[in-house]
This record gives sequence, structure tokens and C-alpha cells, in this order.
Amino acid sequence: MPYLGSEDVVKELKKALCNPHVQADRLRYRNAIQRVIRHMTQGLDMSGVFMEMVKASATVDIVQKKLVYLYMCTYAPLKPDLALLAINTLCKDCSDPNPMVRGLALRSMCSLRMPGVQEYIQQPILNGLRDKASYVRRVAVLGCAKMHNLHGDSEVDGALVNELYSLLRDQDPIVVVNCLRSLEEILKQEGGVVINKPIAHHLLNRMPKLDQWGQAEVLNFLLRYEPRSEEELFDILNLLDSFLKSSSPGVVMAATKLFLILAKKFPHVQTDVLVQVKGPLLAACSSESRELCFAALCHVRQILRSLPGHFSSHYKKFFCSYSEPHYIKLQKVEVLCELVNDENVQQVLEELRGYCTDVSADFAQAAIFAIGGIARTYTDQCVQILTELLGLRQEHITTVVVQTFRDLVWLCPQCTEAVCQALPGCEENIQDSEGKQALIWLLGVHGERIPNAPYVLEDFVENVKSETFPAVKMELLTALLRLFLSRPAECQDTLGRLLHYCVEEEKDMAVRDRGLFYYRLLLAGIDEVKRILCSPKSDPSLGLLEDPAERPVNSWASDFNTLVPVYGKARWASISKCQGAERRGPELPNTASFATAGPLIPDENKERAQELPDSGALMLVPNCQLTAECFEKTWFSLKVAHQQVCRWRGAVHPDTLQMALQVVNIQTIAMSRAGAHPWKAYLSAQDDTGCLFLTELLLESENAEMQISVKQSEPRTETLNSFISVLETVMGTIGDIKS
Amino acid sequence: MIHSLFLINCSGDIFLEKHWKSVVSQSVCDYFFEAQEKAADVENVPPVISTPHHYLISIYRDKLFFVSVIQTEVPPLFVIEFLHRVADTFQDYFGECSEAAIKDNVVIVYELLEEMLDNGFPLATESNILKELIKPPTILRSVVNSITGSSNVGDTLPTGQLSNIPWRRAGVKYTNNEAYFDVVEEIDAIIDKSGSTVFAEIQGVIDACIKLSGMPDLSLSFMNPRLLDDVSFHPCIRFKRWESERVLSFIPPDGNFRLISYRVSSQNLVAIPVYVKHCISFKENSSCGRFDITIGPKQNMGKTIEGITVTVHMPKVVLNMNLTPTQGSYTFDPVTKVLTWDVGKITPQKLPSLKGLVNLQSGAPKPEENPSLNIQFKIQQLAISGLKVNRLDMYGEKYKPFKGVKYVTKAGKFQLGRFGR
Repeated sequence: MPYLGSEDVVKELKKALCNPHVQADRLRYRNAIQRVIRHMTQGLDMSGVFMEMVKASATVDIVQKKLVYLYMCTYAPLKPDLALLAINTLCKDCSDPNPMVRGLALRSMCSLRMPGVQEYIQQPILNGLRDKASYVRRVAVLGCAKMHNLHGDSEVDGALVNELYSLLRDQDPIVVVNCLRSLEEILKQEGGVVINKPIAHHLLNRMPKLDQWGQAEVLNFLLRYEPRSEEELFDILNLLDSFLKSSSPGVVMAATKLFLILAKKFPHVQTDVLVQVKGPLLAACSSESRELCFAALCHVRQILRSLPGHFSSHYKKFFCSYSEPHYIKLQKVEVLCELVNDENVQQVLEELRGYCTDVSADFAQAAIFAIGGIARTYTDQCVQILTELLGLRQEHITTVVVQTFRDLVWLCPQCTEAVCQALPGCEENIQDSEGKQALIWLLGVHGERIPNAPYVLEDFVENVKSETFPAVKMELLTALLRLFLSRPAECQDTLGRLLHYCVEEEKDMAVRDRGLFYYRLLLAGIDEVKRILCSPKSDPSLGLLEDPAERPVNSWASDFNTLVPVYGKARWASISKCQGAERRGPELPNTASFATAGPLIPDENKERAQELPDSGALMLVPNCQLTAECFEKTWFSLKVAHQQVCRWRGAVHPDTLQMALQVVNIQTIAMSRAGAHPWKAYLSAQDDTGCLFLTELLLESENAEMQISVKQSEPRTETLNSFISVLETVMGTIGDIKS
Repeated sequence: MIHSLFLINCSGDIFLEKHWKSVVSQSVCDYFFEAQEKAADVENVPPVISTPHHYLISIYRDKLFFVSVIQTEVPPLFVIEFLHRVADTFQDYFGECSEAAIKDNVVIVYELLEEMLDNGFPLATESNILKELIKPPTILRSVVNSITGSSNVGDTLPTGQLSNIPWRRAGVKYTNNEAYFDVVEEIDAIIDKSGSTVFAEIQGVIDACIKLSGMPDLSLSFMNPRLLDDVSFHPCIRFKRWESERVLSFIPPDGNFRLISYRVSSQNLVAIPVYVKHCISFKENSSCGRFDITIGPKQNMGKTIEGITVTVHMPKVVLNMNLTPTQGSYTFDPVTKVLTWDVGKITPQKLPSLKGLVNLQSGAPKPEENPSLNIQFKIQQLAISGLKVNRLDMYGEKYKPFKGVKYVTKAGKFQLGRFGR
């Protein structure tokens, strides 16, 4: 088809639609309209034929009506004055004898989304609520929510809400569910639809008659209901038992969540439920739909965290197959790593070892990390497998194995000997920064057990000029100095050369400073060096797996069947915070997380700041001027009270950030230039009690995470938390504007 | 709940969009494209992506992405399931869920989406109710329509919408009353190189096609109901009755639907109907290798195994293959390195085999990986788990229906040989 500019097309179609011959021929008329719709769906601007389309809506042909309505809903916001002309026809159709036409007209009218339409739709909606056809009632009930949205946030129409509450008793199941959905939207500001005892019991009785979507949503609404007695609670659970076996995974998950929440005081019931849904969950994990598999696997991981043995006998279900997409393989590997026990460890490790040589480097590396995770409990077997992998001399494998070793000797010092024997020769197969750092660290800390350690480090020093990663140079400095302490004779010369290079030739300031620091430290005497550099070489207490009893089911029950298990709790918190800061007005999903968002509003004034104590008991003083020296002194005298990372896209624009911080009374003490790597900023703020908040922002490289460290002059957790949430909101907002 | 839907093809064109609330700009899909670029292979795009204002939950079906835009926290499985339902409906209406089919029927697609969701909430999704609202296109109907100018929209409201049983319309009438059941079992298995089973499981479904007048009340019983491990049911089944008597008792929907799905996972119960002997060897310092594969029947209960296809993902260094099959035909795609052998059926007298030479890139080292095989097959008139329907009784109506049960077993994810071994 030759490409036509939208203007030509509009002109041509306009001509066709106006042509009385076309209008007389029902088929040709409809074809012309279909062409308009087709162009519209391809993104061409068809608003030019609005007039003609309005005329076309006066027809008995129901398909033509549908098409014209579809068109009008799309372009009404652009042509509000013309759309008003169409309302007449729509109103007439709302009292058509055919219920389908009535429903269709009402639905279209509610979806016009243009200002001023409310007054026209109110009456048809009210009539629709009492229509004898359930099809129309369904549309009218949802229409109430649309009308409320058009009004903006204005006050809730009490009579309408009452009418909707009474329609919860409607005999049509979809009308009932639509009432809940509609009320939920209308009453959002007041916390949504209220589920009291009569409503809850009514809904429970209607459950079997609902379709799967209705069931899943009603189960979700029932979460708000708290049974009065234990007896009532168990009655409800009995009623809902069969939904745990529904053919729809969505219903099964919603039912499971309701069970977990209702039975929060009965751990044995919770365990029982999780046993019951094991089957459906496993079935979803091998479903034809990869997306369902993925979501189900995320939930399996969630359950495993509290009940590690739960899926152990089904471990083979989580073996990856060649043709699965990447994201499923990665989830499966994680699951395998979590469900391992004495009986299946041999088979699981054998399986994972197979993945380590997969063509996809990412997948292979994930498998190696997983073996590293299992190694915390089954050290010997895993170290042996990892050592064998080194023999393959593949770059992407070696680097990950060495990183795993580094973490492992820190957590499980008993494997140090084996690791040290495996290391020689690795250096030939490592090219990336992470791997090199890990290897150098190992050589530095455990060098006395590795015969050729000084010579490997010497090679690194030889090539230091061509080394591209500053982090590797830093690591090299520390490692060589450490090794010098245990094997001085072999290292002295190399160390001298490295220090000379760092002080005289190095361009990176951080590396140069580190070099100078070590040089001066050496001048202070060898004992001083030992005191500072010889920290503990391991910390086995970190390696003990967290006690599952500390992660009871109740700690995640409320997150079950949401997006949290998909992302993991920590990442989710940062995502939802970022999203939250951007969203204002009626779309606020969770008002609680916005308690401190007040001062961000640009027309900020002092009164605004005064309001803060209500929300977080924190009031930052506007003009706290701290000198840089004073800041530095206080900074070094305090411990980090809070540290976290937040998502950050793109480069930092210091001016914008500084201004935004100023608005919430956080002063900027110092900041790197835009585009500097790493980028740093120091901030200070003081509250009305005189407590100081000092903050460091650190962005290692672009498109990574911003690390936030906060120090506080008086340890008070509530104010610290409020301060952090203020800071997060600013960072979230700025970070998103940038992206 | 679901704010907007975008349909995107493999080359990244948004070819259809539909908004149920306010209009969300197409630029939201940039986050999706970013993820797609990162994923390298289209298959690997993660199903849930977060953007500063929205979440994108997507499914990948028949080379198309269905990307839904979500603004509030939602249960992910719910949305994924719904998107699949949308794709199923397209498949059902147009015979295939492809870009071409959707573009050809764009008007019906919009009508369907309009009925399936209102204000972002799922409404009518049952195929037999939808089909009364919007008649599917058929060649005959489009000819008739073009002559008479009539439409493919039902003029009357579906009566099912008013019946007390939401899944069945009232006043159904047939001249031939029939009830058919298909017992379909798929074997998912992983078998290692020595031929022993690493993992095996049967995923079964019973699909029904019920054309019965009035309000029939059916009960279906099995010879060996204890066989079924995890069963999930169509909402029409009375769960309590199954729990107490192991009988499926229900008032069926009209037309086609899935009655139950089940799993049989106890390993000793899962028979493996075929065996494959395969051998691939490369000589050191030579650009040649030998390839040899033979298939034979194992525990096939005396039935013929047919429709066999073998797919092998060869190592990257393989340039070409020169093979001779004793039956069927083979293709080797030198780009994706996938060998496909269409075998047909096994005759026990002469076992099918495929032998020949493998050409490697010259100078490339001997490949490390050992390719794994996927195999497809079909066995008619056999449910490999041994499940048998005992009888079907009908209450509530007087006529005598015609009843039938068909069994078929297929390979599901059936894989031989493992990663790297």
C-alpha cells in the first residue's frame, strides 16, 4: 500500500463519508467508517472527520454504531465542542428497546473523557442502575466510577454510594463484582469499599457463582474483613476450601493469600494451606505459559524462605530444560539453591554443574554463584566442583569462580586451604575488574599459603600502567602491602615500584591518595601498618544460614500474590518509592508512603514546613549553615546511622538536585562536578531540636545505584526515618525527572 | 486494573493499542523495547517490567507480545492469565493469533476487547458468551453479510447472561444430543544420556465438548480415580462430591471447555514409550564428526507411536550435516544450528535411524557441549497413565445422549541428554 500522509487520507475519507451515494449504501458507508477506524488504530490523526462521524452515529446498524462510538471515545477529548453534538444521539440510544444498544451507548458516553460531560451522563447512569437487563446494569455500575473520575477529587456522592452498596445484592454476579470495583475507586480517599459482616457473608455465599476474575477479586476484597470469632474464621476457611483447587492459578493464589492472612494466629493452618497449594503451584511452575511459570516460581522462592524443606522432594521439577527462556532458568537455579538438603544435595549439585558450561555466560555464572551459595552448608563438595571448573580455563567461568571463592573463605574459613591450592594459574584467565579484584584480594590476605603469590602480584604491578580499572589498582595496593607484611623479602622491591608509580604517575586521584597514604603509613613503622591492615580474615558468623523461624510466614503473607515476590522485597521498596514520588492526586496507591512528601511541592513556604511534625515528627530548620570544616569534623566523629541504595538513571545534574534539597531545607556542603566519576555530594540538615543529619551521596558510575549514607548527631530512630524518607522522596523525584 | 494494552510484533512495531481509562502514550513501550534489547533474544524478555509511572506485564505468544500497562498494585498471575485469555480468544475467533489475522480483523478485535474489559476490569471472557455477543468471522458469513448487509453482531442479548448458572445459557436446544470427552495426556520428561529417567511427569487434561439440550446434570466416574494427584477443576464441578466419592458431578457449560486438569507424578507410574540411542563424536584435530541416532519403542502398551519429530540443537561450531535417514526427512538450519528430523511413525520391524557426517568450522576446537534432543510424538487411544473413564450418567433430562471418550498421549517437554553431559 502506498504511503499516504494523514491529511490526504482524511480528505479522501471525508469526501466518501459526505457522499450521499455512499450514505445510502449501508455497506459502503460502513466500509468507509471501518477505514477510518483502521487508520485510527494505526496512529494516524483522524480527528478531522469528527463531524461526519457524529452524523454516522444516527443509524440502526449496530456495528456501525459500535465503530462510531469507538471513534468518538478516542477523539472526544480533542474536540469537546463537537462531541457535545453526539451526546444527543447517545442519550436517545440509552433508552433504546435493545439492551445491547442501551449498554453500548451508556458505556461510550461514560468513556468520553471530556470536561462538562458529567451533567449529561448522570441521569442515564441512574436509569441504567435500575435497568432490567443485567448487561446495562453492569455498564452503569462501572459508569459511576468513571463519572467520579471525571469530577476529579470532588466530594463523594453519598446517595450514589448507597445505591451501589445496595446493588451488592443484585442477582447478577458480575454486577456484584462491578459494584465492589466501582466503590473501591469512588471511596479511594476513604480507604476503599468497607467489607462488614453482612457484606462479607453475602459475598462468601455468592462466590461459587462468580467467574474466575470475580472470584479472584472478591477474595482480595475479603482480606479486609476480620472475623469476629474463631468459629466464624474456620467457617469461612471451610467455605473457601475448594478455591484452593480452582483451575485458575489466579484464584488459587488469591485464596492462598486470604487463608494465610486470616489464619495469621494459627501457624499450623498456614502450613496446612501451603501443603495444599503445593500441587497447584507446582502445576503452574510447569505451565505452558512461561509467564505463569515465572510468577509461580517467584512465589515458590518466597515460600521456601520460611519453609526450606517445603519443595525438597520435588527438586527435579526445578531442573532447567534447554529451551526455557532465561528468566525462568535463573529463577529455577535460585529455587534449587534454596531447597537443597542432605538427601538431594548430590543430585542438585550435579545438575548445577551441568549448567556451568552452558553456552549462555549469564546462566553459567548464575549457576556458579548458586553453587557458591550451597557451599556455605556443603562446603567440601562444592569447592571440589568449583575447582574442577577452573580447569576449563574459560574466562567467564574463572572470574565468577574466583569471586565465589573470595566470599566463601570469608564465610567458611575451613575451606581456605583448598581454595589456596586451586588458585595458582587462574590469573591467566581473568580479564574483568570484579574477577581481578577478587583474585588480588585472595592473594593479599592468604598469600602466605600460596607459594607463587608474590610473583602473580608482581605481574599485575608490571602491567599496572595499562590497567584500566582504578578499583583494581586500589585492591592491588592493599593486597601487596598485606603480603609484604607476611613475606617481606619477596615483596619489598615490587611494593616500592608500585608505590612509586602510584605517587608519581597515576592520574586517578583516589588511587594516588591511597598510595600516598600507604607510603606515609609505612614511614610510621611496621607495627602501625600491621595494626591497621591485619584485620580478621574471616567471619563465619555471617555464613550461618538465617534461621527460617526468624522469617515467619506472617512476615510476607501480605506480600503474597503481589509484585513483591517478583522483585524481591528490597528492590520493590525502592521501585514503589520512586513510583510513588511521581504520582500525585487521585492515583495515589498508598497514602502512607507519602506522609512526608508534603514539602516537595514547589510553592513551598514556611507554613508548609511547619506542617511536617504531624507527618513524621521531624522539622528541619531552614537556615542551618554549617561550614565545610565543621561538617568534616562532625562527619568523621560519627558512625553511619543508616545506609541504603536507591535507583538512579543517567547522570546527575547538581544544580537541580541542590535546588530540590534546598526546598526541603537540606543544605549542600559540597558536590562533585556534573559527570564526575565517582560522583559525590555531602549534605547537612538540622531539625528543631538541634539534631544534625549529615549525608553522603555516592554514585559510582552512570546508570547504577546511588548510595546514601546518613549520620546523625543524636541517635533517634523516628526522626532518622522521617529524614530518610524526605531524602528518598527528593532523590526519587529527581532521579525520575532525569530518566 | 488493566489500563492499556499494546500489541507488539517481533520487529518492535506497535500495531494495535487499546486504552480503557485515559490514553497512555506509546512512549511507555520504550521501557519494554529497552528490556527487549537487553534480553538479546525475544524469548528472554522478562514478563514484568517496572517504569517510573507504570508496570508493564507482558506475555509472548505466537511471536507477538501482549503488553499490558498497569498503574496500581495487582496480582501478577491474574493479569498474566487474563492476557492469555485474550490471546486464546483471538485464536478461537480467527483460527490463529497472528499479526496478520489481528490486522485483518481489527474491527472485531476492538469489539472483543471492548466486551472483555470495561474500565480495566475483566467482564465477559467465556468463549460461548462472547460468541453470542460478537459472532466470529467465517467465510460463509462474510459472503452472506456482504450480500444482505447484515452484521456479525448478535441482535439479541445472550440469554446466558441472565441464567442463574453463569457458565450456561438457558434454553439450549439440540436435535442431536452429544457429549464427548477427550482425555489428553502429555509426558514431560528429562532422560539422561544413559537412558535412565531423571524426571518424568504426566500433565493431563479432560476437554469436553457438550451439546446437550436443557439443563443436564452429569456425573462422570473413573475406573481408577486414585491415580490423579493434583486436580484442578472447572468452576462447574461440585468439589465436595469429588472429595467424598471421587466422582465428577456438574452441570456443564454449553460447547467446548476444559473439565479438569491433573498431574500424575509418581515416577514409577510414568511409562516412557520411546527410547533414543544417540551418539555424536568428534575427532581431535579434524573438521569432521560422526552422528548417529536411532529411535525405538519402549513401554508403548502395544500401540503405534506416530508423529515423531526430533529436534537437536547442535554446537555452534557445526557448519553443516550430511545425513541419511532410513525413513522420514531431515533439515539442518546452519544459522540457528537446529537439526529437525521428521520421522513419522515407528514400525518395530525396522527401527528408524539417522546417520552421517558432521562438518565443523576448520580450526575450531572440538566442541565441549553435548547437544540435547527434544522429541515430539503422539499415541492415539491411550492414556499413558492408565486413566480410564468408567461411566457417564445424566440426570435432569429425559432424552438419551450420545456419549464418547477419546484418549491421546503426546510428548510434552520431552528432553534427552542433559546440559554438558
